[in-house]
Amino acid sequence: MTTAASARMESRAPGAGDDILFRAEGLQKNFGGVQAVSDISLSIPAGVVFAVIGPNGAGKSTLLNLMSGLYQPDAGSMAFAGVDLIGMPAQRRVRYGLARTFQKIRLFKQLSVLENVIAGFHTHHDIPLWQYVFHGAAFRRDHGRCHAEAIDLLAFVGLKHRAQVTASALAYGEQRMLEIARALATAPRLLMVDEPAAGLNAAEVEALLGRIAELRGRGMTVVVVEHNMDLVMKIADRILVMDYGQYLFEGVPAEVQADSGVIAAYLGGELQ
Amino acid sequence: MAAIAIGLLPMIFTDSYWQTNLIVCAINVLLAIGLDFVLGYAGQLNLGQSAFYGIGAYASTLLITQLGVPFWVAFVCGVLLAGVAGMLLSIFAVRLRGHYLAIASLGFAVITYQVLLNWISLTQGPLGIYAIAPPPPLAIPGMPAIAFSNLGNLFYLTAGFALLTYMLLDQLVRSPVGETLTAIREDEVSAASLGINCPKWKVFAFGISSAVAGAAGCFYASFVGTLVPDAFFITESFSILAMVIVGGMGTLIGPVLGAILLTVLPELLRSIGDLRLIVYGVSVTLVVLFMPGGMVQAARLVAERLRRRVAATPAKAKP
Repeated sequence: MTTAASARMESRAPGAGDDILFRAEGLQKNFGGVQAVSDISLSIPAGVVFAVIGPNGAGKSTLLNLMSGLYQPDAGSMAFAGVDLIGMPAQRRVRYGLARTFQKIRLFKQLSVLENVIAGFHTHHDIPLWQYVFHGAAFRRDHGRCHAEAIDLLAFVGLKHRAQVTASALAYGEQRMLEIARALATAPRLLMVDEPAAGLNAAEVEALLGRIAELRGRGMTVVVVEHNMDLVMKIADRILVMDYGQYLFEGVPAEVQADSGVIAAYLGGELQ
Repeated sequence: MAAIAIGLLPMIFTDSYWQTNLIVCAINVLLAIGLDFVLGYAGQLNLGQSAFYGIGAYASTLLITQLGVPFWVAFVCGVLLAGVAGMLLSIFAVRLRGHYLAIASLGFAVITYQVLLNWISLTQGPLGIYAIAPPPPLAIPGMPAIAFSNLGNLFYLTAGFALLTYMLLDQLVRSPVGETLTAIREDEVSAASLGINCPKWKVFAFGISSAVAGAAGCFYASFVGTLVPDAFFITESFSILAMVIVGGMGTLIGPVLGAILLTVLPELLRSIGDLRLIVYGVSVTLVVLFMPGGMVQAARLVAERLRRRVAATPAKAKP
């Protein structure tokens, strides 16, 4: 780790300054002839809110899909807490502490809100094999624990009163919150949220910002992919700006707002 | 309650015609709950159930007749072999979904049927295998031996096994395994994002499902006493599918009801001759069109309506 990197972290995340949690070098992903992500490198310190912004089609979601393992990169390297991620399927990355939500909501629509969250405990059950067919004390203990923790997570995202509702019956904003609760059930160290504010009203956005801040307060690292610049400026500790799949700028919000290249690419259209 | 029903049925239906039908019901219940595990819970459209049924039947029978293996050892082998065949098929088919998986599994059913038909040195092909003995008498110390040449006793055996299988599957689907399988059914990408290894769990669901079908096959052979490949033609897969759909996919009790209804209904309609096939076909079509959740959904609707009526009555009485 470079001294510059550790200095940056200490200023931002006291107590977590020993680690770059997620590191990627020269990531590349092509779809046919289109370079969706081209030579992207990033270092995410532990305990920060790291935003990836850019105009539509900048490759933000593709980057997130590479990080979460939904896609494998064509070139480049990636490591999470020192573990090499290249070639590792999405489901294995969850066990190391990576979790995500989806831009296009992908809930288990026919299951209840509670069942959606409980499915997120998949990697955390503590039941002897035989108790899967002969439910005993350990099974009931595990069941009770998952149920209680799921209710806690639903309370955190403001959906406790909707626990028994079918997921498809939720309002759009509630569905986004349920995706976050479900991802949190995997007990991630790094939570990646893909356009969490899309389709939310102003009050819901405020609540979302509060929840992300609280997660950071608990020591979680959060990656927010978003094209809503205002929201990002309020919450992010560091921002990566992408345009046409390429690195444009990286820095703290004030630096991003001041950078002429970012303004030209992202905000410039209306100002000129 | 189910155990009491199983206990009473052969005493109510004492003639061999209805006792035969009872055993067919028990075998079909096994086939239906087996298919429902992979279809209703894991969401994998498996049309190869007739093949696993046949593999269980032929494997256990050949082990008994050719190698002189005891019945229960052959039974375990037949179940395991059918389960392994299901797992192998799903390892190859695991990338396929929906229609493509249906076609691949149907292809497997066609191939298995052709092998049973044409591997004459082993299966005697269309001539069939005859005079297959029923399961050996069960000797419990201090009690008279229970002979399974008696149809009533054979029903107790198959229905008891079906009940045991039902209870084990019921526990399994009420455990985190059930949550995992339904998550895969609903959305595989989401399931993977929660750490679920979808290919592995699909292979598991296929294995359980085909092993249960294999068990049904073992009982079928020892019950009918004759094996011909036509019993395991691909249409059998669709009959089992109809039982699951008519009963209600994604519940375990639904396929049990569906299996019983679609076994008994054609027998009740026998008096109207070939017209019964039309009645059967039309009733299955109507269920699919108007009650896609099957008998379970219908029962829920009725229960809901009754509850509402009960709730509404005192409210009216007050003013």
